[in-house]
Amino acid sequence: MEKLTAKTENLPDKYKNRGGRWLTDSYVCDEVDPNCHPLGPNNKLVFAPGMVTGTKAPSSGRISVGAKSPLTGGIKEANAGTPFAEQLVLLGYSAIVVEGVPKEKGKYWQLEIDKKGVNLNEAKTGIGDVLSKAYGELFKKHGKHVGIASIGSAGEQQLAAAGVCFNDIDGRATRYAGRGGLGAVMGSKGLKYIIVDDKGAKEVEIKDKNLFNKGRQKLAKALTTHDITKKGGTLNSYGTAALINVMNEAGGLPTRNFREGRFEGAEKVSGEAIKEACEKRGGAGMTGHPCHASCIIQCSNVYPYEDGTEHVSCIEYESDWAFGPNCGIDNLDHVAELVRLSNEYGLDTIEMGGTIAVAMDGGLAEFGDGEKAIEMMKEIHKGSPLGKILASGAVTTGKTLGVTRVPACKGQNMPAYEPRAVKGIGYVYATSTMGADHTSGYTIAPEILSVGGSADPLDTDKSALARGFMDTTAFIDSTGYCLFIAFAILDIQEGFDGMVESVNGVLGTSWTGDDVARIGKEITEMERAFNKAAGFTKHDDRMPEFMKLEKLPPHNEVWNVPDSELDKVFK
Amino acid sequence: MMKLEIHLYGRLRRFTDNPAPGKPSIINIDVPGGTTIRGALEKAGVSTEEVGTNIFLNGKYSSLDRAIDEGGRLGVFPNDMNLLYKWHFTKE
Repeated sequence: MEKLTAKTENLPDKYKNRGGRWLTDSYVCDEVDPNCHPLGPNNKLVFAPGMVTGTKAPSSGRISVGAKSPLTGGIKEANAGTPFAEQLVLLGYSAIVVEGVPKEKGKYWQLEIDKKGVNLNEAKTGIGDVLSKAYGELFKKHGKHVGIASIGSAGEQQLAAAGVCFNDIDGRATRYAGRGGLGAVMGSKGLKYIIVDDKGAKEVEIKDKNLFNKGRQKLAKALTTHDITKKGGTLNSYGTAALINVMNEAGGLPTRNFREGRFEGAEKVSGEAIKEACEKRGGAGMTGHPCHASCIIQCSNVYPYEDGTEHVSCIEYESDWAFGPNCGIDNLDHVAELVRLSNEYGLDTIEMGGTIAVAMDGGLAEFGDGEKAIEMMKEIHKGSPLGKILASGAVTTGKTLGVTRVPACKGQNMPAYEPRAVKGIGYVYATSTMGADHTSGYTIAPEILSVGGSADPLDTDKSALARGFMDTTAFIDSTGYCLFIAFAILDIQEGFDGMVESVNGVLGTSWTGDDVARIGKEITEMERAFNKAAGFTKHDDRMPEFMKLEKLPPHNEVWNVPDSELDKVFK
Repeated sequence: MMKLEIHLYGRLRRFTDNPAPGKPSIINIDVPGGTTIRGALEKAGVSTEEVGTNIFLNGKYSSLDRAIDEGGRLGVFPNDMNLLYKWHFTKE
């Protein structure tokens, strides 16, 4: 961005067959100085669709975004499901690498990619606007079929809770590579949009079509028969927010800034309540909505206003919990509005819900005051000092307000599973290269959902479980498959085999289940090495102190895993 | 006798007087010590055929055959709201 030029080059041979998280990590680890300032000229922002993205493989339309994170100070990969990912692959691109920062501040650029090549132009649309308006104008100018990646006003302000936004299947500005402040990195580079036009693009090359077809059919069969992922199954009917009532019964639903594990208003913001509102209010409301065309799980939703017009897509579990139970808010319309504002301003819902909860703990509002929470969110778009503090995340907000109860690891706020009630996820929060992140090792599956093995949630010996899940996840994040295929493939061996075969079919590789573990391990170790070089030690793989001191009702458990156990995860 | 507050979800809510989602659907019953969860649900008039694999007794993952040694809260989800898989989990 320093010279304001864009060019194409061949993918280096050493990165052959890499996609998604593996590829963004490779660029970041090879080319970014671990000690650079995340918002300075030496950080790089990398976009990479997965290995099978753009093919007919089911639920495979994900794209990874990577850089050094301004929130954690370590390596970051976040991914989203979006038609943008598929379009980029169809145009023949394995990655986009954004380097340098522009000399001129206050101006923004857009990268345009089509079958003729790449162009960098000044962005004149939608600066400082809400993203629904900006996307509407871009679709009008470039056609409804294009894919868009962008930042919102929070990313323009380079604030650490800003995510990178992609269009959904219907053109909404709602699909996020949310975590870790990648939107702030994009903002520091003056890059407002990437616009992908795949008109006239070719089909993706598949090395072994028979193997690919065999593999994708096996995977599709597993997804369409497993209770969690099938049509009419839990995710398709109720969305991920089905977890609200389940985690509440399990006593592991973080409530009022991680003070309690059970919320008396949980049912009002549950997946069942969302489904009921969609059915009763009718109109635009729907569950079973896909985020991209190849998805067969379809766990997204469109939540309506009382009159049936569209309010927001989508209220998924993490967003619902972050602004709901975690803020003590039991009004679904307030939760919907807080999610909508996050989407409009380009913010990570988990970090923002966590931040509002910390702000409430610090006395800026009462827990449960949805209207006040909405007002606070609006400060971010205004660019007020309060808004800038809030959109810098929970840790910064906690420091500013003198709050000791800040549920974060490596600077990133925890998501919707209480580690004192579900110990394995605590291992992941503490030791993940990404900071507190449930998706980097979803041990909830065997602990609460009982997928892929079994584990007692309150048992403390979880180092091998956490490591195994983190490695497998790193591989899935590289394929372009949605992580939710894990529900089916960890239970149905044929589905797992099909996943591997579909990847081999596309790439012409002959990987086995052992290679999945090997590659996953290679990826997490590469990330650990980057973080180590950036100054992280085992003392960063720790839980916040208050969790060792405060008992969490209803189980009345503290975080009682010795630090030495956490150190075993990566031994 | 032990007091049991049974929270039902999904289509199991119809066995209560307040079946609408969005607020708790609860049956309060008294059961003798040692009653299994299955026995308690049958006493409460809930079809155990429709019960899925998410059963929580006082927040602890449980099976239908678990004997109730202490009263409190029992959360039960139907079999079309499974978020877990029956053949892997050793329950209390």
